[in-house]
Amino acid sequence: MVLSEKDKINELCEILLEVGALLMETGANTFRIRVTVMRIASAYGYHAELLITHRALMLTINNEESNQFFSRLMQTSTHRVNFKIVSGLSRMSWHIIEEKWDLEMVRNEIDRLKSVSHYPRIVTLLMVALAGASFCRLFGGEAIEMIVAFVASFIGLYVRQEAVKREFNPYLCIFSAAFVSSLISGATVYLHIGNNPEYAFATSVLYLIPGIPLINSLLDLLDGNILNGVVRGINGLTIALSIALGLLGAILIYNI
Amino acid sequence: MEWIHLYETWIWLGFAATGFAVLFNVPPRTLWVIFIMGALGGTLKLICLKLGINIILSSFMGAILIGFLSVVAAHLRHSPPFIFAIPAVIPMVPGAFTYRMMLVIIRLTGENDHTIFLQLLQETFDNGLKAFFVLTALSLGVAAPMLLSRNKSTKEIKPSKFLTKIFGSKKASD
Repeated sequence: MVLSEKDKINELCEILLEVGALLMETGANTFRIRVTVMRIASAYGYHAELLITHRALMLTINNEESNQFFSRLMQTSTHRVNFKIVSGLSRMSWHIIEEKWDLEMVRNEIDRLKSVSHYPRIVTLLMVALAGASFCRLFGGEAIEMIVAFVASFIGLYVRQEAVKREFNPYLCIFSAAFVSSLISGATVYLHIGNNPEYAFATSVLYLIPGIPLINSLLDLLDGNILNGVVRGINGLTIALSIALGLLGAILIYNI
Repeated sequence: MEWIHLYETWIWLGFAATGFAVLFNVPPRTLWVIFIMGALGGTLKLICLKLGINIILSSFMGAILIGFLSVVAAHLRHSPPFIFAIPAVIPMVPGAFTYRMMLVIIRLTGENDHTIFLQLLQETFDNGLKAFFVLTALSLGVAAPMLLSRNKSTKEIKPSKFLTKIFGSKKASD
């Protein structure tokens, strides 16, 4: 019986760390990670203490009755925003409490969530390009500028996806996407196509803005997770710097 | 009329929010909710701007609307509220300010003329501070329902009991 208790705590620890690491990778804020992990731990009658950082998570769980402690560390892998997983894990944590799921069911659910599909690539490209065109319209662009922004966002995001697939440095992926997008939209500024081509130039890279790192950074700071907030904020600023460098490349080439 | 222009604008705001939602791979059942929330929040911000309120306060108004709508949406669609709130506020994120600041910083490094340098420095601070405060306003707005209700989880916030909860009679929370 002692062994099975040990196995159980081992498995639980692994599951909790995996949930925490997945949440960190897919764009949840620190508060949510802590709440979700603690909720699952308490559903099994354990108390969890967590150290959450950008690249690794540390967990200690203990059972107050048997006075057993168990600690473990897990690294997070590449950060890739995926709200389907965040949403799924949050729902799962409620199922665990309300329907008393056992550890095997939890393990299956995590595996299912990890293999859950993305939107078809063409849908993502079209929707993000449409968002780029929308931004252009909101800035005051007209039909021609909107088409330019659409094409520039479409091709830029394609370049980024290809670069991510080849596992380049994430900032380099963003730089190349920004560079390609602004190269396309900058051409219309250079050739004076349309009434206000600079609207298309300014909005063609907006799909890259680091919205999630920056908002999560502020949410973490508000919640007292100062270190995580600072880390996320610097990450967001570095992304902004990569975008600016990409734009700068196009500006230097066209001498706008 | 300037105001008629808003009718068209909210559609584009919605598409901008939905584009980011697809990029972040939200569950399909939440897409149309995000479209509406992004459109409403963005429109409120634009209306505030038209009324002469400054950009920081306007963004805050828009974000607060999105924050409260996200709690309602979370109950209807069974997902955590920030799944709805973040894609919906992204069209309001001061991306333009941030990269304008970065561009000016890059130009600053190669500048020798004293007066131009000061001008660029002023521009850097102007854009940087605006970006920072707009961002703070957005996060505060999104987090407002949580901060006000002092709850750990949205599941415990019943929209109907929300006001009694903020003003805190203990019986209402049982």
